[in-house]
Amino acid sequence: MIDVFSYVPAIVLLPFFSFLIALGAGKYLPKGGAFGGVAATAGSFLLSLWVLATVAGGGAVNRTIYTWASAGGIGPTDVELSFGILIDPLSALMLVIVTLVALLVHVFSLGYMNDEGETGLPRYYAGLGLFTASMLGFVVADNLLMAFMFFELVGLCSYLLIGFHFREPGPPSAAKKAFLVTRFGDYFFLIGVVAVIGTFGTAQFAGPESFPALADAALNGSGSVAWTPGGVELQTWLTVVGLLILGGVVGKSAQFPLHTWLPDAMEGPTPVSALIHAATMVAAGVYLVARMYGFYALTPTTLAVIAFIGGFTALFAATMGLVKDELKQVLAYSTISQYGYMMLALGAGGYVAAVFHLTTHAFFKALLFLGAGAVIIAMHHNEDMWDMGGLKSEMPVTYVTFLAGSLALAGIFPFAGFWSKDEILYEALVHAPGEPLLFGGYLMGLLAVPVTAFYTFRMVFLTFHGEPRSDTARDPEPVRWNVKGPLAVLGSLAVVTGLINMVPVQKVLGLEGIDLLHRWLDNEWGGIAGLSSHHYADIGPYSSQYIVGGEVATVLVGAAVSLGLALTGLLVAWQLYNVPSPTEHTAKLGGIKDVLYNNYYLDELQVWLAYRTEDVAGGADTFDQGIIDGVVNGVSSVSLIGGDRIRQVQNGVVSQYAALLTLGLVALIVLLGVTGGWFL
Amino acid sequence: MVEPLPQVTALLPVLLLAFTGLALLLVDTLSPDTRSNTSMAVVSALGALAALAATVWFVASGTGSGDTGGAILLFADAIKVDTMGLFFTAIFASVTSLVVVAAHDYFHDHPNPATFYSLTLFAATGMSLLAVANSLAVVFVALEMVSLPSYVLVAFLKQNRGSVEAGLKYFLVGALSSAIFLFGISLVYAATGSLMLGDVAGVLGDIAAGTDGLDSRSGIAGLGIVMILGGVAFKTASVPFHFWAPEAYEGAPAPVSAFLSSASKAAGFVIAFRVFTEAFPVGASLSADINWVLAFGILAAVTMTLGNFAAAVQEEVKRMLAYSSIGHAGYALIGVAALTGADGGAAANGAVMGAAMAHLLVYGFMNTGAFLFVAMAERWGVGRTFEDYAGLAKRAPVASTAMAVFMFSLAGLPPFAGFFSKYFLFMGAIDNGFLWLAAVGAVNSVISLYYYSRVVKALFIDDPASPTTLDTIDVRPTALYAAVVFAAVATVLLLPGFGPVIETAEAAASALF
Repeated sequence: MIDVFSYVPAIVLLPFFSFLIALGAGKYLPKGGAFGGVAATAGSFLLSLWVLATVAGGGAVNRTIYTWASAGGIGPTDVELSFGILIDPLSALMLVIVTLVALLVHVFSLGYMNDEGETGLPRYYAGLGLFTASMLGFVVADNLLMAFMFFELVGLCSYLLIGFHFREPGPPSAAKKAFLVTRFGDYFFLIGVVAVIGTFGTAQFAGPESFPALADAALNGSGSVAWTPGGVELQTWLTVVGLLILGGVVGKSAQFPLHTWLPDAMEGPTPVSALIHAATMVAAGVYLVARMYGFYALTPTTLAVIAFIGGFTALFAATMGLVKDELKQVLAYSTISQYGYMMLALGAGGYVAAVFHLTTHAFFKALLFLGAGAVIIAMHHNEDMWDMGGLKSEMPVTYVTFLAGSLALAGIFPFAGFWSKDEILYEALVHAPGEPLLFGGYLMGLLAVPVTAFYTFRMVFLTFHGEPRSDTARDPEPVRWNVKGPLAVLGSLAVVTGLINMVPVQKVLGLEGIDLLHRWLDNEWGGIAGLSSHHYADIGPYSSQYIVGGEVATVLVGAAVSLGLALTGLLVAWQLYNVPSPTEHTAKLGGIKDVLYNNYYLDELQVWLAYRTEDVAGGADTFDQGIIDGVVNGVSSVSLIGGDRIRQVQNGVVSQYAALLTLGLVALIVLLGVTGGWFL
Repeated sequence: MVEPLPQVTALLPVLLLAFTGLALLLVDTLSPDTRSNTSMAVVSALGALAALAATVWFVASGTGSGDTGGAILLFADAIKVDTMGLFFTAIFASVTSLVVVAAHDYFHDHPNPATFYSLTLFAATGMSLLAVANSLAVVFVALEMVSLPSYVLVAFLKQNRGSVEAGLKYFLVGALSSAIFLFGISLVYAATGSLMLGDVAGVLGDIAAGTDGLDSRSGIAGLGIVMILGGVAFKTASVPFHFWAPEAYEGAPAPVSAFLSSASKAAGFVIAFRVFTEAFPVGASLSADINWVLAFGILAAVTMTLGNFAAAVQEEVKRMLAYSSIGHAGYALIGVAALTGADGGAAANGAVMGAAMAHLLVYGFMNTGAFLFVAMAERWGVGRTFEDYAGLAKRAPVASTAMAVFMFSLAGLPPFAGFFSKYFLFMGAIDNGFLWLAAVGAVNSVISLYYYSRVVKALFIDDPASPTTLDTIDVRPTALYAAVVFAAVATVLLLPGFGPVIETAEAAASALF
């Protein structure tokens, strides 16, 4: 029998090879190396499907491939640092999502980049290849340190790709911002990694010697950890470690207050935005929490913080999306908001719900971005929605698929987003009693539902409905198969993905077995012990309480409320914007409008913080220049002057050498003789 | 059951070196017309490599180690073959083979190169004999056997004033030091009545315990020990016996400088490690108020500091390397300076001395390689100063890269073997409570980075004074290249291979305590 898991490294390496090929030989290849990237991601996708099938057949693996620092080696450490792969239902699912989206993005890029005559294509495809490879490496990582390394690579690639059009003023600045803001979060993540290794002596995700298992045992009293900083209680310390790692998550998944980089990142080419938002960079943060959920489930405080940040970000970002004029800006804020939902789910103990939303969101958000890309091609790279209108008759395929994605995003029954968002809100609701932070998160998540539906359909109506408001909108540029193909694939997925986990239907109608994702993540077909949703529920702090008489009633009421709110938002948008010549209604918001336009002035706040940091750094600089450098320069001048003296002694006269030599020996003899009492 | 070889075969490496030298001399004498530089170089390199192979085979098969019946004693106990002796013989043989290969190109137009090869091999014979000496008399004879060919080798370019002057100075300082050393041996004999290292240790123990009834002899023994220490300091080029070194290294042909600064220095250390553990054990010496550990500590600190400070202000690369090799003698002296007389300190003492031995092995490759690069520069005819080396990397990228490896390894930067050996050395010193020595060593390492990186900067970053300066590089000295590259490869490979080296060295050193 062929061991498919020995091909898992190939999933990571194939896009990496396409990176090398595009980088080295891209300019000699047709299409700037695009076909290499398409072939590599297609290969990875097929291998991932095979892995998925194997996992469905009961396979799973947690294997160390290469140990680069062995325990008891040179140096005062007993920690083993290694690279390895961890394939369980979660990572197998994620592999398929990432490779599928990456494949479609590569194909779409043929239309968006090649057909539009962009220059620097080898650099573009090299970046895409490395980006995909880094994310895949992150997904299969079997320990936190390896995950951190690939996490950083993902960040680097986002920098390279967001700044792809580096000759224009905007993209380099946006790339720098994305890099610096996420780096700020990663700084805490790095400390967290070190803390985990220091505390447990290992960074493995799975197995009896993994850090979640050790933490569980230590909290039970059936084990102990290697180290905690002086006198801190274990539970407190684990919370601190969890929050430190969360810093990286907040940065990468663009959660409040580190979300500011993401809207600016729209400066990158649109396919890159699709990749960043749907399957790679932003997803990395949420995936990390899911990956080490066994650890987070042990620290209720961290969970509550995650839930509250998530709920807050969901509402907060959605409100900013209300007033944006550019197509991609609206999508950017919707991404932040949707990842807020996932964080809310994770914090509320809804591990499966979070993974579910991650999956559906990956498809419908990739769809929306690629659809936006098609519109942007058609509009000759004008992104202002007020210049569009009436595109639905000119671009039927794009319109239909974009509509499917929008319905999913708005959470309208029966599209994918409805199922996953409903489950998140349900999980938050039933776990909320007695948890004020969680309840706050739930309320904000619920409030974000109509806001989401409103801005989504405001976008749809402004773009596709009404009368064309510019000449390009009257005569848009046609798009080719390589744009329509990916849209069609993702459009279908946005409609049907919800079917993998129809928990409400199961609960209401009593149909057993249609909650496929629940059973999948519960290791029903196979997996690794200690990495199942059941285990997480066991060790987690929450218990379910049904507010409105019984489980079925709660399910129905929850679903009805969120669907009703979504429809309300949709209808308001319909009223305001589904007219032949829509006008801006933002003036009615009064003073709030400015606040929303300026994103709550958070960018200004961060700039202000940066300047204050600069002041502090100035003090450190003075200390460094004056005292540290002073000492260093002092040492060097002393040694140079001393060296000159020594040169003068070495004057070439042998008799002086003999004299000095003898005197030196006599001095030694006198010293030792006097201290040793030889002459007494 | 394989019949064990006769005991005398334990001297095979020494004999191989000696017979190769004699054969070269014989051919040169009998048929001076048939000799050629190439054949001489090949024969001497083969001899050195055969000695190296024999040594490595002995070490691998455990000859003389504690596992296979302990050290092999020969000739009424005057010779003692053990792992430490073999370890040092391996250093000597490696350096010798590198040097004779490089010399083939360096002396390509010399009228009589055969003398060089035989003298080098005789000196190497003396060194490997020194490594197995078990009596002060043998130590002295072997030491002279190293020194006398060395004087001639330094003055080998007899038409060159610098070479001849350096040889003379080396000889004068050497004669003085030999006298001091010999006087020291006589005093020790006077105090203990024996020249055998083990017997000296026994009497010293009695003196320390006060059981011999003549406690005043402790002063005589102490005087002798300090004088022997002076002889060691001369051979290792330690302060204040270092004055010969910069001049000899600078004036001598560069392969000879490489040989002296690597192999001959290691020979000085083998005396120190052998005599000061077997004849003057640290515990007994301290009890007898002979604190030679302190003396070595002072020497180590002063030598490190002086070597590095002086190296920092040199204008000529070769002279800089001369002072840097003085600095490295200071580091290696930590191996005898950071010993503890406390009970149960044997393992810790073995660790620090083993680290010093490993450092000398690594140093043997990186320092020889650096001097051979200088030899190559002399062969090309570019100048001697840092400025003259500017831009060499453009003409000779491989050799310049090798030189950069040597420089960074000498400075002790992490990816190279020099880092690990220094790290273990300083760690050993700290473990034995000699934090101050490790601190002085660390500060000096920082200073050394300054002047080592000057070389790399000149090679890779600086532009030559004029575009035509480097046109003199019109030859590709193959053998020199090979030697330099081989030394660089060894320096790099010693990083992954450092585990077995340090284990062998620590086992060998621990056997002495």
